[in-house]
Amino acid sequence: MDDALILVEDLCRYYEVGGETVRALDGVSFAIERGEWVAIVGQSGSGKSTLMNLIGCLDTPSSGSYRLNGADVQGLADDALADLRNKEIGFVFQTFQLLPRATALANVELPLVYRGVSRRERRDRAEAALAAVGLTNRMHHRPNELSGGQRQRVAIARALVGEPSLLLADEPTGNLDSSTGEEIIRLFDDLHRRGHTILLVTHEPRLAARCPRAIRLTDGRVVGDGPGAEVATLTAARVVHA
Amino acid sequence: MRRLRRGLVRAASEISEGVRIALANLVGARLRSFLTTLGIVIGVMTVIAIVAIIQGLNASFESQISTLGAGTVYVSKFGWFVAGRDAWWEMRNRKDLGRRELEAIQREALHASAIAPMAMTRGPVTRAEKEVSSVQIIGTNAQYLETGAGSVAAGRFLAEIDVDLSRNTVVLGAELVDRLFPGATAEGALGKKVVVNGIPFTVVGTIGRRGQLLGMNMDANVIVPYTTFLRDLGGKRSLNIAVAAAPEDLPALEDELVGILRRVRQVPPDKKDDFALNRQEQFLKVYRQLTGALYGVAIGVGMITLVVGGIGIMNIMLVSVTERTREIGVRRALGARRRTILLQFLIESSVVAALGGAVGTALGLGVAQLVALLTPLAAAATPSAVALGIGFSAGVGLLFGSWPAWRAARLDPVEALRYE
Ligand SMILES: Nc1ncnc2c1ncn2[C@@H]1O[C@H](COP(=O)(O)OP(=O)(O)OP(=O)(O)O)[C@@H](O)[C@H]1O
Ligand SMILES: [Mg+2]
Repeated sequence: MDDALILVEDLCRYYEVGGETVRALDGVSFAIERGEWVAIVGQSGSGKSTLMNLIGCLDTPSSGSYRLNGADVQGLADDALADLRNKEIGFVFQTFQLLPRATALANVELPLVYRGVSRRERRDRAEAALAAVGLTNRMHHRPNELSGGQRQRVAIARALVGEPSLLLADEPTGNLDSSTGEEIIRLFDDLHRRGHTILLVTHEPRLAARCPRAIRLTDGRVVGDGPGAEVATLTAARVVHA
Repeated sequence: MRRLRRGLVRAASEISEGVRIALANLVGARLRSFLTTLGIVIGVMTVIAIVAIIQGLNASFESQISTLGAGTVYVSKFGWFVAGRDAWWEMRNRKDLGRRELEAIQREALHASAIAPMAMTRGPVTRAEKEVSSVQIIGTNAQYLETGAGSVAAGRFLAEIDVDLSRNTVVLGAELVDRLFPGATAEGALGKKVVVNGIPFTVVGTIGRRGQLLGMNMDANVIVPYTTFLRDLGGKRSLNIAVAAAPEDLPALEDELVGILRRVRQVPPDKKDDFALNRQEQFLKVYRQLTGALYGVAIGVGMITLVVGGIGIMNIMLVSVTERTREIGVRRALGARRRTILLQFLIESSVVAALGGAVGTALGLGVAQLVALLTPLAAAATPSAVALGIGFSAGVGLLFGSWPAWRAARLDPVEALRYE
């Protein structure tokens, strides 16, 4: 277990809203090994995004511990967290989150800008990343000149360009029609087979069922953790992963 | 070493990225950027125009003032700058300065390197049928040129013997040569006869061109021995006496002159001087007071408009930060540090302001040129004024952009990404 890529133990994240405490995450523990493809499922408001933000080092937990790559993320300074996000994590968002005025290429170069990679190397690597998602002929288009599926592929290229240890995708198909969504999932499948570690938040049991493993959250707690096909169809009872 | 290099590359790419983003946003919101920078444009334009005009004045004034000897004290009945009518009447009623004063100075002023009397009048100078009216006629001695009054272009200057024998010899100013001997070289005038105020004189030399001093033509004059002047052209005028010294001797010379003149003119110890010691410096002093006031106005106007412009920039940057909250969230998620975001917005506000400053500088120089064309005022644009205009605006952008930039940097990444 010690060489797990992600190790969370008793992770909690509370929000204070109008004097009341919202337990968005309430004692979550699990480990994810390198090369795994894990779906996070659960109803709306069950804490999926909250968990992703914590694993993505965008947010800090109220309590509990989180080790990424064997290193404790707890107590890292803001700059260190930024550097960690830059090097270790690739984000894919439901709403793509591309910079509207930048071309696809410039969007993909962005993580490398914050890493201090030279202009030429940046360009080469961004072009390669865009080619890997099949967008060689759309590199100089701006987001509003691209279809939804193409935008999401730009976002995936941007997530991959820095060769992170971990790919975090929060409902990456939520804004796409089902056939385009299928395209994106096939892309993830492909990345998984090439050894990437992927955490995928999804509403759709159909997608979760295709993942080798899924974790189900309810009210901020893990209520299921096991093979995707099982957890996806599960509603309440807890499945204990062997 | 590697880490340092990476750091440098990172800083460089962040800065160039910042400038790129700033420019892209500028282009993306042209009208707004234009309105935003209007305050800065107007402020910088005003300041640059005034400064350019002042610098133009300075340049022409300095070249003019240099026609007065820098190390020369002009002893006269009148001070150059008279404050009020009473003072003027007091000067008017003073005893004239004459040969007695001149000779006393010649005898006793140990610090003087040259001493030249200047008796002056105006009158016509003619040659054959050509006449130049109202020429400045100066009666002086052989040392006149050493008091900083130009140099000989052709022939010779007055010699001591011209003065001792009260000869009718004359040295012509450049303009007189032009007008009395059109088409001839300066040498062509030598040995010729001209008539000064009805008296015939022989031309022995000419003076090189000197230009203008505060609107006074320094070339429209003729120079004759003062002894001849006093005999033939009017002996009842007060003399001016130009006394030159090495710059370091000037204070001593002035003390000396005061002592000599008070004694010769028998000024009682409890009375003020009844003569004036004038120096080029006095021109400079009065001039600096004038331009200092102008500078003050320029700085005041500039400050006010720059503050107004700065507030405009602050306002628009706050709007921009709000509008681009999600962009900030994305950048933070991709690894931008707080200070990277801070830097980006600081660069943006200072680039916007600097561009406004550049436009304002260009307009200001245009205005100054226009003023120079339409009025007798000169205008000069020094590179330092341009650099200052742009640099100062960039500074204003930096200052007023820092609060919005700080707000942007402080945003929580999760909140920023969720922002609708
Ligand atoms: N900034 C916040 N302030 C207060 N409460 C919050 C905040 N963010 C999330 N929550 C609460 O935490 C709980 C979990 O939210 P989260 O966004 O993680 O759910 P989710 O599983 O991602 O839902 P969805 O499927 O709708 O995206 C919710 O009850 C939500 O209201
Ligand atoms: Mg969510």
